[in-house]
Parts: sequence; C-alpha cells; structure tokens
Amino acid sequence: MVKEKQDVVIVGAGAAGLTLAARLAEGGQSVTVLEAGPERKLSDLVSSQIWARKLKWAEPAVSESGDHKIGHAVNAGRGTGGSALHHYGVWLRMHEGDFSLYSDHNVGLDWPVSYEELSPHYDQVQAEVGLSGDSVKERWRPEGSPYPMPPLPLFAQSRVLAKGFEKTGRHTSPLPLAINSEPYQGRRSCQYDGWCDAGCPIGALGNPLVVWLPRALAAGVRIEHNATVSRVIRSGQNNQHIESVEYLQDGERKTIQANRIIIAAFAVQSVRILLSSATQQHAAPGNHSDKLGRYLMTHPAATVFGLFDEETYPHQGVPAGQLLNHDDYDKKNAPGGFGSSQWMIGHAIKPHDLLGYGTSRPDITGAELEPWLKRAARHLGNMTLVCEDIALPDNRITLSDKVGTDGIAYAHAHHDLDPAAAARWTQRMSEGADIMRAAGASEVWSGPRIGMHIMGGAVMGNDPAQSVTDANGRVHDTDNLYVAGPALFPSSGAVNPTFTLTALASRQADHLLAAK
Amino acid sequence: MLSPAEAVELDFTPEVLTRDQLTTIETVAEQLVPGSADAGIAAYLDAQLRAGNDSLLIGKYLGVDIPAQIDFYESLASNLQKALQTEQAISEVLSAMWSDTQANWEGPPASYMLFVLRADALDVTYGTPGGFENLGIPYMAHIMPEQPW
Repeated sequence: MVKEKQDVVIVGAGAAGLTLAARLAEGGQSVTVLEAGPERKLSDLVSSQIWARKLKWAEPAVSESGDHKIGHAVNAGRGTGGSALHHYGVWLRMHEGDFSLYSDHNVGLDWPVSYEELSPHYDQVQAEVGLSGDSVKERWRPEGSPYPMPPLPLFAQSRVLAKGFEKTGRHTSPLPLAINSEPYQGRRSCQYDGWCDAGCPIGALGNPLVVWLPRALAAGVRIEHNATVSRVIRSGQNNQHIESVEYLQDGERKTIQANRIIIAAFAVQSVRILLSSATQQHAAPGNHSDKLGRYLMTHPAATVFGLFDEETYPHQGVPAGQLLNHDDYDKKNAPGGFGSSQWMIGHAIKPHDLLGYGTSRPDITGAELEPWLKRAARHLGNMTLVCEDIALPDNRITLSDKVGTDGIAYAHAHHDLDPAAAARWTQRMSEGADIMRAAGASEVWSGPRIGMHIMGGAVMGNDPAQSVTDANGRVHDTDNLYVAGPALFPSSGAVNPTFTLTALASRQADHLLAAK
Repeated sequence: MLSPAEAVELDFTPEVLTRDQLTTIETVAEQLVPGSADAGIAAYLDAQLRAGNDSLLIGKYLGVDIPAQIDFYESLASNLQKALQTEQAISEVLSAMWSDTQANWEGPPASYMLFVLRADALDVTYGTPGGFENLGIPYMAHIMPEQPW
C-alpha cells in the first residue's frame, strides 16, 4: 500500500495509463498506477486461443442491452497492459474529417482538438512504439512522418485477396501495424505465426508490456495490481478538488491521495468509477449536465470469408491482416448510408475460437466438418469491414442495479446502431462479397455484425454543457481529475483506436508536465 | 491437471453438472463435431464451469457469468433429454434446433445453444496442438501451453 501522497495516481495499466505513467514519471512526477487485474508478464502469454481468454475482462461484470451490443467481454482486457495486451496491433491515424463530424455533416460530435494538433503526437508515439507500413502506398493516409519500419511481407492469402480489389477498381496498401518487420529498439521482429491476440511474448508487437512498462518502472512508477477502484473522493474544503481514490485490494478498502488523478480504465470502467463517485451533496464528477456515460460507441464490423482453388495458407501472417483499403473512408456522405469504412485484409486465422473459420460456419457439422476444415486450412481467405459508429446520446453507460459481493456497483452498457450507420455497414458488406468473388472465391459467406472497439462515455469537448472533459481530458467541474483513453472520443471514425488514444495520452502528458 | 482426453480415460467425476447431463450434451456435441467426445468435451465443460471466473468457455466472450453459464448447460441438457426421448432421430432433433422449431424447447433459442456447444466442441477438438496437427496446420507456438486448456 502506498501511504505518501502522490503527484499522480492513474487508474488503469493499459495503453493510455502506462503511456501517461511513463511520460509523467520521466518528467519527475511520483506516479502510482492502480490496476484492477493481476500482474501480467511476457511469460504468461501462452500461445493458445483458449488460454488467451484469461486476458479478457472478468469482474466487475458488465451487462449489456441494445440492438448492437458493444461486446465488452471480448473487447476489454484485465491486468497489466489492459486490452492492448491482446490487441492486434493495427495502428491507423484518424482522418482529418473524423475530428469535425458535426461541423461538416451536422451528425454526431466535433472533437475539441484537430488532426493538425494531434499529428505531432502521432509522429512521436509511432517512433516510440515502432510501426511498420508504407506511407507512400497508403494513399489515403493523413500527413505525418513516414513509418519507422518497412511493411510486413505479404503472404499467399493477401496476394490472392488483393486481386479482388484490383479487379473491382480499388486499391490496397500494406496495413500499418505496431508489429516489428525488423528488429526495433532492442525488440525482435515478428515470426508471423498468428498468435497476437494471445499476447506476444517475444516483444515483436508493441504492447504496453514491452513499450511503456519498462520505461515506467525505470522511472520509479509503482503499480498496485488487483486493485479495483470503487470511487474518487472530493475534498471537504474545495468540492472542485478530488483528493483521493478509494480502491479494494486483498479484501481491504484503501485510499490513496494525489495532486492529480487520471482515470484510464477503458471506456466502461472509467465511467463506472465516475458515476459511483456521486454523493448526496454532489453529482458524479463530469455529470453536471447529464452527459457522463452518453455517446457510447462501437464500430459495426464483420468478416467476409471465401474459399479459393488457390492455396492461401491462412495460418500464416498476423491476425490483424496484411493489407488495407480506405478508398471510401472520406466519403462519409456517399449514398447508401452514413459514415467512413475500411477493409482490413488477409487475417491469419485459427480453425476455432469466436473469430475462427470453423465457428463461422455453424451449418457444417458431422462427417462433413473435418474435410471442410482441412480444405479451409489451405484455401481460405478473409477480410474485415470496420464502419463508423455515430455518437448518440441515448447510447449510454449507467450503473446496474446489481452490486458485487465486494460492494462495487456493476455497469450496464446500452447501444443501438444508428440506422444510417447500419445502412452503410450493409452496403459495404455487399460490396465485400463482390470483392471476394472477384478475387476468385468459389464460395463466399459472412460472419455476424459485431461491436469492435469501445469508445465514448466521457467525451471531450469545448462546451461544458455538452461534454464531460475539456480538450486536455480534465473533467469540467473539477480542477485535478482527468480521463484518458477511448472514453474521451467524441467520434469513432472507422479506424482502430489504439494509435489515437495513445497520441491523446501523449498530448495529455505534455499538458500535465507543462502545468505541474 | 488432466487433459480432457486423460480425464475421459480415467472416468472423471463431474462436480458441476450430473453424469446424465454431461452424457446427453456429449452425445449431441459428438454429432456436431465428431471426435469431441474422445477429446473430452464432457470433462472440459465440467472443469471450466468449476473454475468460476477463470472459466475459459466460449461463454466468457459472450459476457455470460458463471452462474448463468451453469444454468445454460443445465437447460441445454434438460431440453436435449426431452427431445431425445421422442421418436425423432437425433439428426431430426438437430435440424429442428438449428431452425428453432424443436417442440417444447425452453430457455435460450435452440440455435444459439447449439452454436455455443459447437464452438466449445471445436475448442476442445481442434483448439489444441493435437487438433492443429490433425488438420495439417503447424502450431508454431511462441510458448507452448502446458495443458491444452
């Protein structure tokens, strides 16, 4: 237990939390991180899709409702590294237009920061993490420094699928990845064996355990594991000031004081902690205008599969995929729906598990199954559509009626998909089947629509009446409480969020060090 | 810890579900994914349900807590036992379940329950180094799991 008052307490040891911890400690701040889950080490990252489920969220439980659920149990992580420990490593920048959605289209929300303001942090973070890609071939990429490493090599599956994009007049580029195509800053290069989401124990994937944790520990950061935060506590003298964090550890209720407190516990748990901090005298921090928990988002996504005569060997490569298509990304207003979309192409895939090809065909059973699996193991192609979600006020995280045995209230997440976003998803999925056939697939099918990534709930904005935090992530009605991570996002774009949330954390670190 | 197949050979003692419930589920799992009975689907399900929050069943991905998962498999077994006591062939029962037309089905939709059971059976049959080898896929582990699950 840490008894002395800290400069900074950070809740959550994921990508945002450990980025901030490392940067602030290197800047001379005393930092303690409270992590709800257990300590994770590289040696824990066993190559098994079954064992990998240990890395997923467990307690406090999250219940869900709505016609397009966020999939909290799949998307969230628990333990050192958080959800970034099992992330696939797709690191894409949001496009300029993602930051001005309401101004440009009268839809959703604007960001209080622009791409131009965030761009230097994208550049800084990509150099620290190490990204592989081709900034020239990635013709849709917003302006920024070239990738520090060349792209990963292409395997057979991606070469086959690329033909479908070419034949339908579309383009592909290497998918930018936080995966080493060559040794980088003492970390090894990838072995292309498809175990990323079981956690990469060789350090080729830039997860928090190999990028931020060593720096944080070297700078003196202390991490308290199995420490589930119940609430933050306002000062008795100044109700704008948060003086401490209450947490449960080893069956004991503990508190820790800090000059600044950063809640970086992913979207749902960050909101759960803030909502649980309401008192009879004061609304929950950030909830003075009833915006806390609202604008919850998740990308509508699905995978298109095909079987080919050619050999594709889909076990080779990385689960993220190898190629990218953003041809339609900036056509948010194109007929057929609303929003950006992207294709991630050529995922390394396993026969089982929720995203495995065996699971994708529940209609194949009995004596037909094993011959089909053997064929798919050599001839399958697959690619995933990610569409934009639109921030809606009624998509909301609230406290559940259920309370755990430890007294911590559970969270509930409600999410319906906007009809225009749903229409865009349907349109692009149909196009995806056409692309798969153009590539030569003799049989094409699709997986269900799923919620991929979780964003929003504590959105940042310039207007305190319409948002939870300011442009630096400071909760509006407090002077020292911050939120970090994807909870801040006012819009989702259609790109994977880890690069943007890390760049935001980098920007927050600069702000906090300048204002200390 | 025993592997599922070893547990089968040793005639494991179920602790969460009953022997009858597991036998019924195993029979249907074998129809869906041949080889899953020998791979130890019964022992796998019972051991994972016993593990509480450390359960690795596919239900974890679906955000279903352990008490609800136990209810799920008990309900599945009960429904299957009723269905298999009729004159229907097992293939007819499965067909009716996939189309959610099985008479007197109670609880979650039959097609959803079959989907989950099939995914569990795929895990235990093909989600292991031995299962990969059977499909001709190199496992290529960074760290080989000490146990299949």
